[in-house]
Amino acid sequence: MKRTMAYAKRNLIEVYRDPLSWIFCIAFPIVMLIIMSVVNSSIPKEAGNTMFRIDNLSGGIVVFGQMFIMLFTAIAVAKDRSSTFLTRLYSSPMKSFDFVWGYILPMLLTAVIQAFVSLCAAFVISLISDYSLNIAGLLLTVILSLPSALMFSAIGLIFGTLCNEKAAPGICSVLISLGSMIGGIWFDVEAAGGFMYNLRKCLPFLYATRLARSVIDMNFGVKEFVLPLIVVVAAATVLTLIASIVFNSRMRADQM
Amino acid sequence: MGYAIKTEKLIKSYKDKTAVDGLSLTVNEGELIALLGVNGAGKTTTVKMLTCLTKPTEGKAEIMGCDVIKDSEKVKRLVGVSPQDTSVAENLTVKENLEFMADIYLPKDKTASAVEKTIKAFNLDEFKDKKARLLSGGYKRKLSIAMAIIGEPKVLFLDEPTLGLDVLARRQLWREIEELKKNITIVLTTHYMEEAQALADRIVIMNEGKVMAIGTLGQLENMTGKKGLEDVFVSIAEKME
Repeated sequence: MKRTMAYAKRNLIEVYRDPLSWIFCIAFPIVMLIIMSVVNSSIPKEAGNTMFRIDNLSGGIVVFGQMFIMLFTAIAVAKDRSSTFLTRLYSSPMKSFDFVWGYILPMLLTAVIQAFVSLCAAFVISLISDYSLNIAGLLLTVILSLPSALMFSAIGLIFGTLCNEKAAPGICSVLISLGSMIGGIWFDVEAAGGFMYNLRKCLPFLYATRLARSVIDMNFGVKEFVLPLIVVVAAATVLTLIASIVFNSRMRADQM
Repeated sequence: MGYAIKTEKLIKSYKDKTAVDGLSLTVNEGELIALLGVNGAGKTTTVKMLTCLTKPTEGKAEIMGCDVIKDSEKVKRLVGVSPQDTSVAENLTVKENLEFMADIYLPKDKTASAVEKTIKAFNLDEFKDKKARLLSGGYKRKLSIAMAIIGEPKVLFLDEPTLGLDVLARRQLWREIEELKKNITIVLTTHYMEEAQALADRIVIMNEGKVMAIGTLGQLENMTGKKGLEDVFVSIAEKME
């Protein structure tokens, strides 16, 4: 565990000294929150569109921000793999477990900070809009968004391990676009039918958004909270396991 | 005095190439041995096999009596590596890089003192709070070696440690290596003749994965009838052709 923490500390410093992390992981979700709140204020009430209302928007923004955590995990892993720094560490007593959790832990901490900052901004926006948010719900969301943060970190780890430094960000950007659409962050995907309907049911993104929204609303019903929580926790567990297997086999292959 | 490294008919083959072809070598504890050869001679592959970075195809290799395949976990605790590329964490300061490596190898109560000691030993005090990416080539190389020895290894591998450095930085690094030599077994790969001549107790001349000659400079000179390592090397290389 000592080596895991040492590697996590190194990765945390690397992430926090990169200005792009601050821009994309902290500033960008807030900017999107503000823009969409302005859009919401321009929608006439008669339209009945509550998609960008702050209670719906803030849950979506938490998940949207976590997608950038995925991107930064992928970039960090792919960058280390392309440099000889990781090779140097392969000759040290560090094990695959130390590397995997050394990448994931700082990203989870970043996700917590990101969710906290985004939800603080959401709370301020709620004060100046006509819809108030529950502080307990917001604080609980910071904690209960951890399974989806783990899920996205694991996806980033998988793509960072499998792809090179150039391909990993590209693939993650496609996933961010896809995840935002079928995750119901920017439009009501639940109302869509056909292919979109089937796709959203197969992937965990929508459940992550639903989970965040239900906790913000303090709605702990089975359909709104329990089912999404089960799906997201299961997806996070399976994807973390897959990420560990993929990293371990790539580490072995690199040493052949 | 026992041996620190022992290899027997060590082979590393890839699909279309044999990078190391039947290397048999014994390095005594406290000795500095230089692997000398042109690019592609098999020096780096040898280091990679001895530091568990790549598995030998055939043969046997031991570090302080531990097999590099069967006891790889033990071997990883016994060796320190400064790779050909400096391989430092670029956004971490000099001190943070050293703390990171100390955390990997040493118990928590030893970390702080080891970092201080290493910073002093390598004269890095002035740069300890500077990010690694802002260091000059020579200081980056120094840091890389400092990172390799902070874990108190029994055997240190320096893969082309002075590659790309100017004359002054190279000479400074030689002095650091001379200091290290007193306490540790060192395997140094290089294609600079003067470096091998200045630092090594014994020299291994490699070509196309094979050992062409092993010995002290005097022994190699006697063997070839030439004076100075460069002429010795040319003489051996011409015989190979």
